[in-house]
Amino acid sequence: MALVELSNVTKQFTKGEQTITPLDQIDLQIAEGEFVSLMGPSGSGKSTLLNLVSGIDRPDSGSIVIDGTDITQLSRGKLADWRAENLGYIFQTHNLIPVLTAYENVELPTLLLKQTSQQRARRVQLAMNAVGLGDRVNHYPRQLSGGQEQRVGIARAIVTHPKIVVADEPTGSLDLKTSRQIQKLLQDLNQQLGITMLMVTHDNEVASIATRQLLLNQGKFIDGHTSPSVRREGGEALG
Amino acid sequence: MLLPWEYGVRNLARRPIHSGLTLLALTTVILLIFVVVGFIRGLECSLTVSGDPNVTLVYSMTSEENIENSAISAQIPDLLSASMSATVKQFGIAHHSPELYLGTRVTMAEHSPGLGLVRGVTQSAPLVRRMVRITEGTWPQSGEVMVGKLAATKLGVPAEVLQIGNQIEMEGKSWKITGRFAAEGSSFESEIWCDLSDLQTATKRQDLSLVAMLLNDRMAASEVGLFCLERKDLELRAIRESEYYQTLQEHYRPVRILSWLIVGLVATAGIFAGLNLMYGALAGRIRELAMLQVLGYKRIAILVSVVQEGLVLASAASLIAGGFAICWVNGLSVRFTMGAFALRIDSLAIFVGCAIGLLLGVLGALPPALKALHASVAINLKAV
Repeated sequence: MALVELSNVTKQFTKGEQTITPLDQIDLQIAEGEFVSLMGPSGSGKSTLLNLVSGIDRPDSGSIVIDGTDITQLSRGKLADWRAENLGYIFQTHNLIPVLTAYENVELPTLLLKQTSQQRARRVQLAMNAVGLGDRVNHYPRQLSGGQEQRVGIARAIVTHPKIVVADEPTGSLDLKTSRQIQKLLQDLNQQLGITMLMVTHDNEVASIATRQLLLNQGKFIDGHTSPSVRREGGEALG
Repeated sequence: MLLPWEYGVRNLARRPIHSGLTLLALTTVILLIFVVVGFIRGLECSLTVSGDPNVTLVYSMTSEENIENSAISAQIPDLLSASMSATVKQFGIAHHSPELYLGTRVTMAEHSPGLGLVRGVTQSAPLVRRMVRITEGTWPQSGEVMVGKLAATKLGVPAEVLQIGNQIEMEGKSWKITGRFAAEGSSFESEIWCDLSDLQTATKRQDLSLVAMLLNDRMAASEVGLFCLERKDLELRAIRESEYYQTLQEHYRPVRILSWLIVGLVATAGIFAGLNLMYGALAGRIRELAMLQVLGYKRIAILVSVVQEGLVLASAASLIAGGFAICWVNGLSVRFTMGAFALRIDSLAIFVGCAIGLLLGVLGALPPALKALHASVAINLKAV
């Protein structure tokens, strides 16, 4: 059974008199431990799909079942609880809180779990070690490089041991060298810790680290399982 | 689950100059509130403590409620003493105080004249005016006066001008200050007391303004009232002193209402200061607040955290303003038509000032927080 199962999911937006359909009756299954990358031109519905899987937006129709829970049926409060326990989110720009240290930033999601302070401390330290920043816990974001900040963002996403981690262009604001380090880190987390990942990216190279690549265009998946095919079918917007 | 307390506190340090200026603005607003509430409390307390419920004032029926305009015969005290059984008597001395009370121009050396309140009294006055205590010097003899604690404020001169040994001029005569007195914050403290017969001579008057009588019990006031009603020829009127000052309180009601209105207006200005801070602070943190929601924090938790920020700032402002008010505003004397009184930063004033201060923090933070949390998380995550 798939860990993530989207069935017949449609999402529409109304802009003035115009109705936009970023996702049009799509189906998607992601198995546990799978690393799926999602590509597509701007406005193809990638971010919308990510938001729906993250439970921060709701579809107009269809169901999204994650680890047996149809998250479209949850109330706003229950959805927040569900996110705290089951979801890790890696942002394009790390979105760290500047007034909190790296440790405190990573600890934030664990405060929502029923854990003792010792358990929390252990989890935070493990997550920081996993991203190679075990010695930077007391640094504030301003004292870290862009790559280190993104690593802290990744540590924050995995610290709760979520069922799924979603990443919204995690290397989008990094230079090439740092981007490759982050790619390697994401790959390691998937392969060594078995973390299920869904990643949106514009970059073929980044997409290639995933075990499965998907291409979205005009609200529908287009067959595409390798980076070269994505580039060919995705058109000029993919670059 | 709420956000860590440190998050809200440290957020205030993100824009230190802005937070500092807002703290200054809130402190000023709360201090203004303390001053106005201190004024109201001072006025109320001065009038409340001035009225002794066991003392009844007998004065002229034609003067309405202004004792300064009253003129009654000098024989009235003896007549009352002979007719009233309810007057307190000790060692054969009736506890009643014949008094001549007037507002007059008082001139002091090297200072422009001021309008002073002068009370001519006999040595029986302290038997009736039981709150009056001589704090310095001696009881005035002929050609001498003693001045109340706030008399200098009433005259608009520094306290040193009315030091013992100094001379003042009033009613065309020079008077030497021989004593100072306090009266538990009552309106007597803004008066100048001298010998009754001396004042009568100086003013060329033989009459009195009033007789203050200390009665055995509070119900005896009606006996005095009945006497005044029966002796229509004397044209007297009796009123319990506490009721007299209660009437004055009513007289100053518009002033109190206006003062509370000022408290409201100043508080409203403070709310805008708080709003300005929080709108500015949250405008740059929309994406961060959305991120917190993505992590699983509920809107109410984020709202509480933002309100915490406003409250921390407002609490700090309340503490600073409260400390300043207690140390420097409390006891400041203010000149007023009825005399002078001291600003009073009592427990009620502190409660009102701090409560309004904290309210400023909450009301200043709520609208921007609600606005920031109102839009969808997905949209806010893209906010610049």
